[in-house]
Amino acid sequence: MAKPIKNPVWGALASMKLTIALLALLMVLVFLCTLAQVDLGTFGAVAVYMRSFLVWWHVPGTAYSIPLLPGGALVGLVLAINLVAQYLRIPFNRANIGLWLVHAGLILFVLGEFVSGAFQVDSQMAIEEGQTVNYVEGKDLELAVVDVTDAVQDEVYGINEARLARGGVVDLPGSPVSLKVHQFFRNAELTNRRPEDPPTPVTMGVGTAVSVRPLPPVSRDDDMNRAAAFVEPVAGGRSYGVWLVSNVLGAPQSFTHEGRTYVLSMRPRRQYLPYAITLKKFSHDVYAGTDIPKNFSSLVRLNNPSRGEQRDVLIFMNQPLRYDGKAFYQASFGKNDTLSILQVVENPGWLLPYISCALVTVGLLYHFGTRLRRSLKRREAADAEASQRPAAAQEA
Amino acid sequence: MPLTPRLPSPAFRGTRLAALSAAALALAGCQRDEVTHAKVPKAGPEAAAPGMPSMPPPGMAAEGSPGVPPPPAPADAGALRWTLPKGWTQSGASAMRYATLKVPLPGKVDVSVVVLPGPAGGELANVNRWRGQIGLPPIDEAALSSARKAVASKAGTVSVFDFTSDGQVKTRMVAGLLSAEGNTWFVKMVGDADPVGTARPEFIHLLESLRLGKAD
Repeated sequence: MAKPIKNPVWGALASMKLTIALLALLMVLVFLCTLAQVDLGTFGAVAVYMRSFLVWWHVPGTAYSIPLLPGGALVGLVLAINLVAQYLRIPFNRANIGLWLVHAGLILFVLGEFVSGAFQVDSQMAIEEGQTVNYVEGKDLELAVVDVTDAVQDEVYGINEARLARGGVVDLPGSPVSLKVHQFFRNAELTNRRPEDPPTPVTMGVGTAVSVRPLPPVSRDDDMNRAAAFVEPVAGGRSYGVWLVSNVLGAPQSFTHEGRTYVLSMRPRRQYLPYAITLKKFSHDVYAGTDIPKNFSSLVRLNNPSRGEQRDVLIFMNQPLRYDGKAFYQASFGKNDTLSILQVVENPGWLLPYISCALVTVGLLYHFGTRLRRSLKRREAADAEASQRPAAAQEA
Repeated sequence: MPLTPRLPSPAFRGTRLAALSAAALALAGCQRDEVTHAKVPKAGPEAAAPGMPSMPPPGMAAEGSPGVPPPPAPADAGALRWTLPKGWTQSGASAMRYATLKVPLPGKVDVSVVVLPGPAGGELANVNRWRGQIGLPPIDEAALSSARKAVASKAGTVSVFDFTSDGQVKTRMVAGLLSAEGNTWFVKMVGDADPVGTARPEFIHLLESLRLGKAD
């Protein structure tokens, strides 16, 4: 039997009705999030509906937004509190061990989503046959400033979009170069300049011939932001002009300061790895006589000099390479089957859903097992009582 | 009445725990570095990012060295003109493209005209970038010379490169590069190997018809 609760707030939080209401809300959010993926893309819809505390609605024709629904984060947080409150109401004894395990599993499941939301990093590795890659790239962009002077290695500085959006001066650590960010556009249309276009602040590079028109950011899966920024490198008190950088401009532009050449480029945000992966062969198998895909697989060579590790790994569908906290999944391919694209997921809480499912399973088995045992005992007792009744009647 | 410390109510304890947990998670999420720094070995040509739109040829720093004034955008007199092969159509400027041409053939074929100021990164860098876009390894200056074919036009000599990818489904690229009046023009046809091969003679005629000046 559950412990009684005197505090009305705590009592409301521990209510089973609240659990039902929250689960119903989650179902509504999942439904709306699924519909929203058409316009917002997977990541955009998840950010708006599931990873937010409130779902906002922009009032058309105004600059205002009003909260429409609690977001997945708020519902999840209240659900976690609700589960904890119910958990604490269950007396801890042998008969309730199953219920404790089930509730612990559910709480862990909800917390696991918070851990994923806070820590999970999704990126990808595009790698061609014969190519060796030692970095993964995210969906966001960065302004890369690369000192390419050294013949053996590059010094790479990456400035993320959030920092660019704040503007101001960005110092490159350990370098004499600073970048003054004059303007940043999360998404923009770049066109060849026409005589009637307004003056450009750009004084150097190919951007002098380009006009930039801001656009609202996009998040659809089949679209991408064309980010752009006007940046001014400054080193040793000297300005190297204002440059336009954009992921649409493709190749980098560069300037030279005291004999060192720095290349500027906007590109997907990179995370360099302490190991490298070489694609030995990508296979795209089809069913005989058809074009229907049967299997995609990448045979890669993993090389980690710091651990003296070098081995071949076959990555195929639902069989990722798990290494150093990252999981490399076969995701896509291109370039006439010479390019393999691996989805790379880094989530320190990836085990939590498995642990929670195991806890819930064990808890349910234990709970139903004890109930079944109790029920069988009752039935045995009832049968025994029933069998004794006729004998007693005869004796009477 | 004695003053004794009171423990927070269970409700407050729960709320505080949740708030602290949420704050810790939010803080952890914000700790991703805004400016990163890494020393990495020199890399070969980069693979074109999947899902990226067709990019114009790159511009690099050579034309933008400090102290050198930027070249003007092509004015009407310095604009590139051409004669369309029969059945081909043309749409106007869009984004970074000066023009997009349509080839009347089935299959995937894209013809683009792009102009950038200055040498726009140079011939070798651009050629290696194009080769990278269809999965071919980079070449050096010597191989560049043997890959280059010259096509004469009224606008000047056009350097023409023709590459076909490896793999089961082959992609072919025929690209012309012309330097004129301080700008570099890129006229590029890329797509499925068969239709590109069929359209190649007409594409070469188009390159031969290139001229500078006002529209006809």
